[in-house]
Amino acid sequence: MTTVTTPTENVRRDTPVGRTRVIGGIMIAMAIFILWIFAFGASAKATSIITFNPLNTSGGAPWSLGNLTLPSRISTLILGLIALGAGLETMIRIPARRVMARFGFVSVLFLLGLFVWTVRSGGPSPTNFMDVTDVLVNASGITMVLIYGSMAGIMCERAGVVNIAIEGQFLGGAFVGAIVASSTNSFVLATVAGAVVGALLGWVLAFFAIRYRSDQVIVGVVLVTMIGSLTNFLNLTFLTPYQQYNTGVTPSSIPIPLLDKIPVVGPLLFNQNMFFYLMYLLVGAMSFGLFKTKWGLRVRAVGEHPQAAASVGIRVKGVRYFNTILGGAIGGVGGVAFIALHGQFNPGFTSGLGYIALAALIFGRWRPSGAVVASIIFGLTSMLASGLQSFNVPVSSEILGMFPYIITIAVVSGLIGRVRAPAADGIPYKQD
Amino acid sequence: MTDAKPTLWQRYLSANPVTISFLAILLGFVVGALVIIFSSADVMHAWTQIFNSPGGIFHALKVSLDNVGAAYRAMFTGSVVDPTIFWHALTTGQGWNAALTPLSETLTYAAPLAIISIGVAISFETGLFNIGANGQAILGGIAGTAFGSMINLPMYIHLPLTLLCGVAAGAFFGLIPGVLKALTGAHEVIVTLMLNYVVAFFLLYSLLSTPLQLPGQANDLSRVILPSAQLPTFFSTATTLRVNWGILIAIAVVAFGWWFLNRSTMGFDFRVTGANPNAARASGINPKKVIIYVFLISGGLAGLAGVVQVDGTTHALDGGFLIGSAGIGFTAITVSLLGRNKPINVFWGAILFSALGVGGRIMQAETGIPLDLATIIQSAVVLFVATPVLVQEIFRLREGNLHTIQLNTKGWGT
Amino acid sequence: MLFMRLELKGITKRFGSFTANDAIDLVVEPGEIHCLLGENGAGKSTLMNVLFGLYSADGGEILVNGEPVHFATSGDAVRKGIGMVHQHFMLVPVFTVAENVMLGFEPTKSFNRIDYETASAKIRKFSEEFGLEVNPDAVVEDLPVGIQQRVEILKALSQEAELLILDEPTAVLTPQEIESLIKIMKGLAASGKSILFISHKLKEVRAVADKITVIRLGKVVGTGLPTDSEEELASKMVGRSVNLQVEKGPHNPGAPVLEVKDLVVRDERGVAVVNNISFTVNRGEVLAVAGVQGNGQSELVEAIAGLRGVESGSISINGIRVDNATPRECLDAGLAHIPEDRQRDGLVLSLSVADNLVLNTPRAPQFAGRGSRKLAAVKENADKLVKDFDIRTESVNAPVGSLSGGNQQKVIVARELSRNVDVLIAAQPTRGLDVGSIEYVHKQFIRERDNNKAVLLVSSELDEVFALADRIAVMFQGTITGIVSPQSTRESIGLLMAGITEQSND
Repeated sequence: MTTVTTPTENVRRDTPVGRTRVIGGIMIAMAIFILWIFAFGASAKATSIITFNPLNTSGGAPWSLGNLTLPSRISTLILGLIALGAGLETMIRIPARRVMARFGFVSVLFLLGLFVWTVRSGGPSPTNFMDVTDVLVNASGITMVLIYGSMAGIMCERAGVVNIAIEGQFLGGAFVGAIVASSTNSFVLATVAGAVVGALLGWVLAFFAIRYRSDQVIVGVVLVTMIGSLTNFLNLTFLTPYQQYNTGVTPSSIPIPLLDKIPVVGPLLFNQNMFFYLMYLLVGAMSFGLFKTKWGLRVRAVGEHPQAAASVGIRVKGVRYFNTILGGAIGGVGGVAFIALHGQFNPGFTSGLGYIALAALIFGRWRPSGAVVASIIFGLTSMLASGLQSFNVPVSSEILGMFPYIITIAVVSGLIGRVRAPAADGIPYKQD
Repeated sequence: MTDAKPTLWQRYLSANPVTISFLAILLGFVVGALVIIFSSADVMHAWTQIFNSPGGIFHALKVSLDNVGAAYRAMFTGSVVDPTIFWHALTTGQGWNAALTPLSETLTYAAPLAIISIGVAISFETGLFNIGANGQAILGGIAGTAFGSMINLPMYIHLPLTLLCGVAAGAFFGLIPGVLKALTGAHEVIVTLMLNYVVAFFLLYSLLSTPLQLPGQANDLSRVILPSAQLPTFFSTATTLRVNWGILIAIAVVAFGWWFLNRSTMGFDFRVTGANPNAARASGINPKKVIIYVFLISGGLAGLAGVVQVDGTTHALDGGFLIGSAGIGFTAITVSLLGRNKPINVFWGAILFSALGVGGRIMQAETGIPLDLATIIQSAVVLFVATPVLVQEIFRLREGNLHTIQLNTKGWGT
Repeated sequence: MLFMRLELKGITKRFGSFTANDAIDLVVEPGEIHCLLGENGAGKSTLMNVLFGLYSADGGEILVNGEPVHFATSGDAVRKGIGMVHQHFMLVPVFTVAENVMLGFEPTKSFNRIDYETASAKIRKFSEEFGLEVNPDAVVEDLPVGIQQRVEILKALSQEAELLILDEPTAVLTPQEIESLIKIMKGLAASGKSILFISHKLKEVRAVADKITVIRLGKVVGTGLPTDSEEELASKMVGRSVNLQVEKGPHNPGAPVLEVKDLVVRDERGVAVVNNISFTVNRGEVLAVAGVQGNGQSELVEAIAGLRGVESGSISINGIRVDNATPRECLDAGLAHIPEDRQRDGLVLSLSVADNLVLNTPRAPQFAGRGSRKLAAVKENADKLVKDFDIRTESVNAPVGSLSGGNQQKVIVARELSRNVDVLIAAQPTRGLDVGSIEYVHKQFIRERDNNKAVLLVSSELDEVFALADRIAVMFQGTITGIVSPQSTRESIGLLMAGITEQSND
């Protein structure tokens, strides 16, 4: 009789072997970049200054931290060598867990190296220092909008409805938000208006996807195009002749006493506008709701196995309608948050942020916590594009503008790997 | 079950794909009319006054119809023909130029639209969604303009090579999402959407920071394509009749599309993959090969469309080339969905929607209504075509065989 | 509410012009195990879906303890005490056992938070009471199928069902697990629960039923008792006398065609689902791989057909190595594959019968040339095959999705057997087919065998295995626990299916 041999290795891996090697390879490439361009691209005598006190101290300055003056070449050399070590470790040892964390670590080293190199004395940059706090605060705006977008997406997709129309919900919410904010000077009212418009768009998506079982990707793309054209149309017919409806007013920051004095973290997390604080509530509520409550369990059941949910009496269509409308509302609020960031409404000014939010939620494995991490990463890279321009980095501005999109593509193809969406995501639900 | 076979008329009144397409277009125009009404200050004012006088509602209706009528009339005369001008030409034998220009414009713009729509239709038949077609067309236009304006060759080589450049650029750009999807399972919707933004930046970059820029000025304008690379027009260049060989190329592409999808073995593989990717794989079809070939062909056709677009109209690029509402990628989606991916239907659909775009520009010039209305109408048409059950309900059609479109782009991983 | 008497009176359900259930009468007394016997397509599942509120009946009524009831949703049925254990489990794979069992009836604390402690305690209580061992915190998709079924049963019981409907529950169980299920059912009946057991498997029905109702083509055609013979019940089920045997020539094995050596296949999560398997299939013989689904058979077939990669070991067809080859290479090496999931892997439902008949050979020189297809030749081929294989279809250009299950399988069989192949692999080939089609398919396999081809049959239906096999290989958890002759007893095969080989002492 055949003998049974014990299997060699049944270790559950986070990332398959091949992809881990690829990621390790990318890490090594990044490390070499750091060493070649950053370390040896800087002259031996150059120094870089890292500061921590924000330049803009309106609303109260945090406690002061000294500046950090670094020898450019040596510090980037060190960063590069650490990165090289991490990359080699990943490539050779092929760890079963925490591969993405290692990659994140190397990315942070890369960013630090980039900063140090950009502001080195003797380089083309007009200023010699990089303010960490400013960088983070600048990135936080985009990150905030991305978080709203990915929460909107998670709300819909966990129930099984693909929401490509987040971009459209942003635009719709922004348009209405700008009008209401300009006329009433109240961003609270603007938020309500944005939520209503977003909910309406969510309802349209739900209507076509659930009732008529249309392909959700097509409906989503069409909705974005329609809203884009509609807002462009209305911008030309209303906002341009009646400038008072698009004044560009933005909400003021609300500092939280004492907490906002903490260096770096204070201005970043505790001295922001209302939308930022609302975002904390949103993420917290969604995490709690989806994974700890009865409501969340039912939503996830509908998204994974609607037949099973129906067989215990859960109203699948009702859940999907509710979640898609609520998701749309969140998207709409995200649009108003974008206005809070930008001021004036310009047609198409969201520039694909809604789609990047979609990539963020996929990268975050449909969990609010993961989506937040992904949004932070994308937010930083978006900021890079605009931020680096003022430092006279020798790359043309159009090329820099491509970065957020290229990074998104790289993440979606290289780093994400096989993901498990909610099993019934995008599949129209058929019942007798 | 009905006893007799339904009559032809009864068949038309049932929910079959042809009727649905026709009615979807009708509904699209209704939506457009509603947008015109609700965005026109005069019309809205008239409606708020309907209770103030006995004929109020009639007045409001009249004003509404006047506005909508003026808009749609401008669209028609701008894209097909203006009856008075045409009559004048017929009776006096003069003014043919003005009479035929609208139709010529429609055909001129229909050519690239038909080409790109065939490409999108092929991708749809395979269950893939090439939303990046517009970006591929832009890149094709850039490559074609570069070759056509910066290299000097006799026409019989120059023109074909210029077109080929466009095809190659589009195919290369289409290869990116194709390869990524085949090798890593990356979702082509997100990748192509991102690439559309990348290419918009690249367009500006090429027009401002590379030798493609028109010398002697600092705006985002390109050099002009040399006459040896321009698509010859059918009428003399002294007239405003721009219809050119592009339409012949379009017809050839449509024929190719028909042969490919209905007769070729590769097309069969594509259709099987689109209908059931699992069975396709089990029957020996290599899904990775299919994905890459689809994007190559679809991208190549999109690139060709881009070259034909620039080469048959302005002969030079600017920063707004195929951007926003001037984009043909989204219209291609509408046209192929409407034509249910069948090449001959796609051809007629391209002419129809080219008319919509051309007429829309005239409408914008004459009535001030923004060109975006055309895109809004298109979006509505797509929604209705993708939801035949809704159209059936609205018009209370009998049961027919409905053709619902389901792509294989559900699910984010593979 | 304790003890339920269920009565179905004149239940009728139509789908368009097709009548799935025609005036069905049925009575289930409390404490009774009542079997609904019928072949595939007879309308059993439809009736159960009506009873469970998933479909609405077009005629007739349902009476619970004498009172007419109406179920708009399954929730209504559950509230009235009816619980269902579905054939395809209604379990959310990524949820834990506890989450699945409590779904729809979740105990909550403040803020709508789920009370996991209470839920787990309740599960343990029911678990002990009815003898269904489960771990409330295990994730369902990690559990073996037999345990998943227990979770389904537990789910119904915890919702205080008085009547349990079990829809073809034994399809996925080993003989030992079937025995323990029968014990559980008898225990439940003894405690007063009513059980409605749906099946087409005569042996199990006779083993457990108190009363049998036979349904055919949507109508009740008779009742029976467990003491009736198999032949009697079978002929009531099918409407004619059924020969449960197949005519077979003598076993004259020739040269080896398919050789599998030391094969190891891992799944996405790194588990070795095929764990060091070796066997050979010779010309002129049928090797049947018996075993309950989920023990690696599907992955084995996929590996041989090129649909799944192999970690180590080898597969050869006629001496050509095909491990880690593409499906195309395997087909070209002489393989015919009748897939387990015919609608997913074997057919393209929207394409025509003619196209499906050449699905894996569209580029063969007789069907295409210079990149273009020869449509006339394809149609000619289709006409011939439809005649030869008696495929019932309106026309060869009709979409294959319009054919019945049996005819769809005939299309696949016709396609595969009309190619020049040396080895035929059939995975669960008669699942969901009516008796007539089953007989037909079995005849075809024997014909191939008698024509000196090699046949590898993978089936979880022991009757089929015994009827067709020249040799039987039993699979358990990715290994072959024994290769035996069809003269072996069911019990001995059952032991092998449960992993008990002669060498182990447990």
